[in-house]
Amino acid sequence: MNVQDIISSGLLELYASGLTSKEESMQVQIWVKQYPEVAAELAAIETGLEQYAFANAQAPSASVKEALFEKIGSSNDKVSPAAKAPVKLMLVKNYWKWAAAASAALLIGSSAMNWMYYNKYTAVTAELRQNQEQALLAAQQMKDMKEDMSYVHSPFSKPVALNGMDPMPEATAKIFWMTNSGDVMIDASNLPDAPQGMQYQFWAIVDGVPVDGGMIVTNDKGQKFHMQKMKSFGKAEAFAISLEKAGGNPTPTKVVSKGII
Amino acid sequence: MTVTKKYSEEELVISLQSRDRQAFSYLYDNYAPALNGAIYKLVENRELAEDILQEAFIKIWNNIASYDAAKGRLFTWMINITRNLTIDTLRSKGYKKQQQISGDENSVSNYADSTTSEKFDSLGIRKQLANLKPEQRSIIDLAYFNGYTQEEIAKALEVPLGTVKTRMRTAILELRKLLQ
Repeated sequence: MNVQDIISSGLLELYASGLTSKEESMQVQIWVKQYPEVAAELAAIETGLEQYAFANAQAPSASVKEALFEKIGSSNDKVSPAAKAPVKLMLVKNYWKWAAAASAALLIGSSAMNWMYYNKYTAVTAELRQNQEQALLAAQQMKDMKEDMSYVHSPFSKPVALNGMDPMPEATAKIFWMTNSGDVMIDASNLPDAPQGMQYQFWAIVDGVPVDGGMIVTNDKGQKFHMQKMKSFGKAEAFAISLEKAGGNPTPTKVVSKGII
Repeated sequence: MTVTKKYSEEELVISLQSRDRQAFSYLYDNYAPALNGAIYKLVENRELAEDILQEAFIKIWNNIASYDAAKGRLFTWMINITRNLTIDTLRSKGYKKQQQISGDENSVSNYADSTTSEKFDSLGIRKQLANLKPEQRSIIDLAYFNGYTQEEIAKALEVPLGTVKTRMRTAILELRKLLQ
């Protein structure tokens, strides 16, 4: 059978319509491989029929595609055992499978490392911030202490010890009176905490009369442990501390500590 | 936003054979209407046609590895699967192949007013096909859509068995000429 006879036989048309027997189909496939003209003719027939089918197209409902993809999603890439793929394609497929698996593994590994390093980074950053805060706090404390000490070291500083009196013998305090400026600093760190609703009040005895020298903080943010600046006095015979209601009194009601200059 | 990727037939087959769902989605979008139309011609029931269509696409997806481009075009392979499935379904449901198909009843002109069909006719193919002789359209329909054997075609069209092949050839040649 020559090429022209094959083409004009009508067998290619039947083959394209799926109407040939198994033997006829195999014969056509051999011819297609053997003769490019037969292959071209078959392709043209198929394309014609394809266009004919497209001319008769009927759009299915949108729900069909949804249901289809739901089904193939759950069937999980099941390939029928009868399916035979060309070997080359299988190799490519496997290669990509392994490549994809390797990439996925690398990605997971890399993500895990990222996560680990990120955690480490945040931990170290937090630690650094904490250290910086501590250093800042230490510097502030050092500065406060230096300031406190400057009153002690000052050549004009006159120390006056206040001793606890009968109702509160433990109520002791130290005064540093600056003779040049009249500034009065009190170190109240040995004063017991004032009871709830009460406050210590500072007094200077000037010409036999107690004069208000300000309130002493004993329970607020550790102020008690720093020198506190009281009102300034140019002259005084003695200093005293009394326990008063919060906010103080114009005259002392319960003197707890006193020091004569 | 989805960008529709265009595939050549070769790319499409390779993508499908590596189980690419996006490619399968593309395949469905581009070929489902044509296959659905082919099924509808046989079953003439929209719901049943769509059931068969879905089943056909599952078969296509599961068997794509066995498609061999050396044996024919992808669409030919798909419509063969679809046609066989449709015929099997009709048989299992106790339907009989419709014997009355002749002339215009199931021909392209039946869908002349159908807007769904119009959508896929951007090239005006249907208009050109109106020039196809009724007996030529019938033989193509019976063979390509209905899957009639040569004997069945001869009987349905009341022509000698020996002339079916050549009539088929002439009809498809005419079809190709009209589509050019």
